[in-house]
Amino acid sequence: MFIAIENVCFSYSNSKENAIDEFSMTIEKGEVISILGRSGSGKSSILRILAGLELPTKGTFTIGDNVLFSSNIFVHPEKRGIGLVFQDYALFPHMTVTENIRFGLFRLSKKEKEKRIKEVLELVELTGFEKRYPYQLSGGQQQRVALARALAPKPNLLLLDEPFSNLDAELQYKIRKDLRDILKKANITSIFVTHDENDAHALADRIVKIDKGKIVKVGRPCDMLGMPIKQEVMQ
Amino acid sequence: MRKIISLLMMSLLLILAACGNETSEPAKTNSTTKKEETVTESTESKEVNLYTSRHYDVDDELYANFEKETGIKVNVIKGEADELLERIKREGDATQADLLYTADVGRLSRAKEEGVLQSGSSELLDKQIPKKFQDNDQMWYGLTKRARVIIYNKDKVKPEELSTYEALTEDKWKGRVLIRSSENVYNQSLLASFIDINGEEKAKEWAEGIVANLARNPEGGDRDQAKAIAAGIGDVAIMNTYYYGQMLNSEDPEEVKVAEGLSVFFPNQETTGTHVNISGAGIVKHSKNKDNAIKLLEFLSAPEAQGTFATANFEYPVNPDVEPSDLLKSWGNFKEQDIQLSVLGDNNTKSIMIFNEVGWK
Amino acid sequence: MKRLMINVNSWTISASCIIILLFLPNITILKGIFVPSNENWEHLKKFVLQNYIQTSVILVVFTAIFSIVIGLSLAWLIAQYQFPLRNFFKWALILPLAIPPFIGAYTYHGIVNYTGVIQKTLRNEFNITVNPSFFDIMNIPGAIFIYTLFLYPYVYTITRIFLSNQSASLIESAKILGKGPWQIFFQIVIPISRVAIIGGSSLVILEVLNDYGVVKYFGIQTFSTAIFQTWFGFGDIETSIKLAASLMGFVILILVFEKLFRGKKQFSFASTKVKPLPLIRLVGLKALFATSYVLIIFCFAFLIPVAQLVSWFILTFGKIPMDEFFQHIKNSVFVAGVSAAIIIFCALIIGNFSRIVKGRYVKILPKITVLGYSIPGAVIAVAVVTTFITLDRFLTPLYAVMGIDSKLVLSVSIVMLITAYIIRFFAIGYNAIESGYDKIGTDFSHASRILGAGLMRTFVKVDLPMMKGAIISGFILVFIDIMKEIPLTLILRPFNFDTLATKAFQYASDERIMEASQASLFIITISAIAIFVFHYLLEKGPK
Repeated sequence: MFIAIENVCFSYSNSKENAIDEFSMTIEKGEVISILGRSGSGKSSILRILAGLELPTKGTFTIGDNVLFSSNIFVHPEKRGIGLVFQDYALFPHMTVTENIRFGLFRLSKKEKEKRIKEVLELVELTGFEKRYPYQLSGGQQQRVALARALAPKPNLLLLDEPFSNLDAELQYKIRKDLRDILKKANITSIFVTHDENDAHALADRIVKIDKGKIVKVGRPCDMLGMPIKQEVMQ
Repeated sequence: MRKIISLLMMSLLLILAACGNETSEPAKTNSTTKKEETVTESTESKEVNLYTSRHYDVDDELYANFEKETGIKVNVIKGEADELLERIKREGDATQADLLYTADVGRLSRAKEEGVLQSGSSELLDKQIPKKFQDNDQMWYGLTKRARVIIYNKDKVKPEELSTYEALTEDKWKGRVLIRSSENVYNQSLLASFIDINGEEKAKEWAEGIVANLARNPEGGDRDQAKAIAAGIGDVAIMNTYYYGQMLNSEDPEEVKVAEGLSVFFPNQETTGTHVNISGAGIVKHSKNKDNAIKLLEFLSAPEAQGTFATANFEYPVNPDVEPSDLLKSWGNFKEQDIQLSVLGDNNTKSIMIFNEVGWK
Repeated sequence: MKRLMINVNSWTISASCIIILLFLPNITILKGIFVPSNENWEHLKKFVLQNYIQTSVILVVFTAIFSIVIGLSLAWLIAQYQFPLRNFFKWALILPLAIPPFIGAYTYHGIVNYTGVIQKTLRNEFNITVNPSFFDIMNIPGAIFIYTLFLYPYVYTITRIFLSNQSASLIESAKILGKGPWQIFFQIVIPISRVAIIGGSSLVILEVLNDYGVVKYFGIQTFSTAIFQTWFGFGDIETSIKLAASLMGFVILILVFEKLFRGKKQFSFASTKVKPLPLIRLVGLKALFATSYVLIIFCFAFLIPVAQLVSWFILTFGKIPMDEFFQHIKNSVFVAGVSAAIIIFCALIIGNFSRIVKGRYVKILPKITVLGYSIPGAVIAVAVVTTFITLDRFLTPLYAVMGIDSKLVLSVSIVMLITAYIIRFFAIGYNAIESGYDKIGTDFSHASRILGAGLMRTFVKVDLPMMKGAIISGFILVFIDIMKEIPLTLILRPFNFDTLATKAFQYASDERIMEASQASLFIITISAIAIFVFHYLLEKGPK
């Protein structure tokens, strides 16, 4: 067992209801997990809690031997060694592709930095775009830069928030496949959240289905097949 | 991070303090160098600090002359009288102010009441400034005078029709009188003098009568009252000689033209006398350079400076040995109200309350 | 667990310190509300207070309405349409902000009064004598006219930046739905820019509330009059502070109300990819109409008064001492520049703090810094003097150790004046910085932190470069406001320290507006250069 998430609860400051209620799961190294749920189900909150952007009210979270939060520990996001690809990428608009990727590599030597940038750009097949600014890239390219930026510091865990929501359908199909290849090639443990059943099926090793902050079902994609799909989930 | 910020703030504060000192006390370096040159001279600092509500260029020239003559540098903060008084009060015994110089005697007597002034005198001051223009306890000295007179339209009003301030409340002046707002300190002092001379009751009647005869709601400054006569809004205005003199010598030919169509009348010559107010300076209680302060007062009341006030600033000198300027003389001599000037300050609050009660805006 | 997230957060510490420092002098004033009322208070209440408040309300309400109408219509024209001279007006419409309202009042009165250029020309050239009351602007409508002309740029600037950055997709979808330009204006533009309009007009309202120069000259009695009447007239500073404190209390109420109102109806823009609004080219009559509308306002708010000042400047040229003018310019630019820089620096810290730290009451906290802007400067000055003298007395032992032979060090240095500026104008800088933070949102800084950058590195590498526009615009607005500031400068300056504004005031308060023209023109020129530089930097930089 590589990652353990236990009994995580979370509520927004202006509400008493738990947005996340007793969320627990374990993840093996290299596994690709999909958290599937409709909007408002709390799936994005889970990502933000794991990344350190929100403070859970209860629960523990460990990667390997490192405790990232528990009742008396809270590791700030910059110390967690977790990567996150934002829904709309959040590429720094005043930096080029290279500068965006280099941003997370400030602990490496100059030589190592350049090497790593080259590696990840090759991985996401964006060699030749180094000097471009984000606004000079297409949506799919922007997403791959965001992915490269998140992968560059070699995080223990990669989180992806609705990775396909900003792409058109045709592109989605191609990128789904690419993404799985990249994740597998990099052998990186990852969690992505989505509202789209097809995304989950195409990408994930395991699917966690949640509703109203609670896990309703966990299983491999093939196990989930044939399960009655609720109308809301399709939205 | 915390350290960086606090360090930054501290250094900024220090730099600013240094800059401030540089601009605020250039005299200090001056005086030390001078002291080194002439060791025999007295050890008292060679500066005097002035809080003043007078904003005239001619004052600055006089201060410069004073420094040339005596080697004493005059440091100045120009502000509004009440605000400067408040600052002195709050600075308490640590204040740097030596003199408080204002354009209204009411403020000086208030300063005395608040206990921020001290007595100081010299033979020369007594000689140059008549007792009438000194504080009883010699805490402040008047330096220039201004008369609050009636200005009238030469074409529409004959001087024989005019007599006193009180006469302006008669029915024949209905809709013809102009005067500025009661917020103005010169009006407050005018009414304060009436309270002293005629009593509160009569003073209030006077204010009511003026309000009833106003040609328009009070607006603008003294000059605007003169212009309103020219524009035909009213026929007579109560205003300061100082501003009328300014208009006659304006850079704007049109203003000169307006002023030339008007004339000065000194009211109450047969009765209580024309209202005068003075500009004067009080010696601050916690002054650090009292001797220099008195020297400056002596200088400002000496014939030379008094002449400058009269010619350059259209003010009447307080020094009896100095003649008013030709322009002022051309308006003639006049009899002044015979009151203790400090009552203007004492009655200030009362006069504002009367203004409010009778609806003088 | 809450404390775990906030712990060792130097931002919290610095921000709290700044807020406390800014708030300290305000406490001196606010506690005045508890002073028992005396006969002066009763007298005011009986005879005048009701009228004064009424006048203040009229001034505030109408100035706000006209400023919004003018500011918003100009912002909309400039943000949405291309017409002749539009690119010039885009920045030139901010210029009226460079004219201090009291100078504007003196100037306009100078133009329209009996010896002014209009009546003079009619009388001397055409032999027409007009009814002078027709040209009388020294009344309530006149004051509203002056305030509107010289304060509308607050609404214009804030709304225009908002509209050109945020509205593209909404307006495009409205068009697709078949809405005409007027419908779009009333049904889309006004509602979505509500926050910007409230932000801009609240600055206008506060300026009107704290002004004393215009109303005093015009002989209009407002709430400020009551404050100064008790102070100057009755010599009763306690009651006058009590009045000021009531005004502050009222402003606090409005702030809370506005926060509640805004809190529920906040529009957030999901996308961080803001698309600029494409300009529609106007031709023919429409273009003519647009240009002339903008031109007329520009003339009244800038060209006409400046032309009058220039002609006075020529009339008095060489008659007023010029030798120290260079020093005055240096002083003005120095204090305005340093204070504006400190304000922006502090605003960045507090803004970042209120963004990082969660919780609603924390977000209201920075709002209290706006209080310094709500009451007349002279009252703030008293509070600042009191605070600094207390501070100096506290530090006296230290001065003795340092070998300084004086009890007052800070309060006779320029630090006191600059601190007062910071307290007074913090709100303006903070407004700009806060909206800048709002615009970039939190995703970028979160992304940065997840990539391993700490708060400081995130701030320097990510937030600051993206905030460039907000920083420049905040700086310029504060700079201009300090350039023309009067009461604080008069009372709190060190010895022999003159600025352009104090020079202009010196002459104007003595009814010598012609002699005041020189200093006024320098204020306007320097501020205009600042506005132009601001425009240039913003246009040039990448969005």
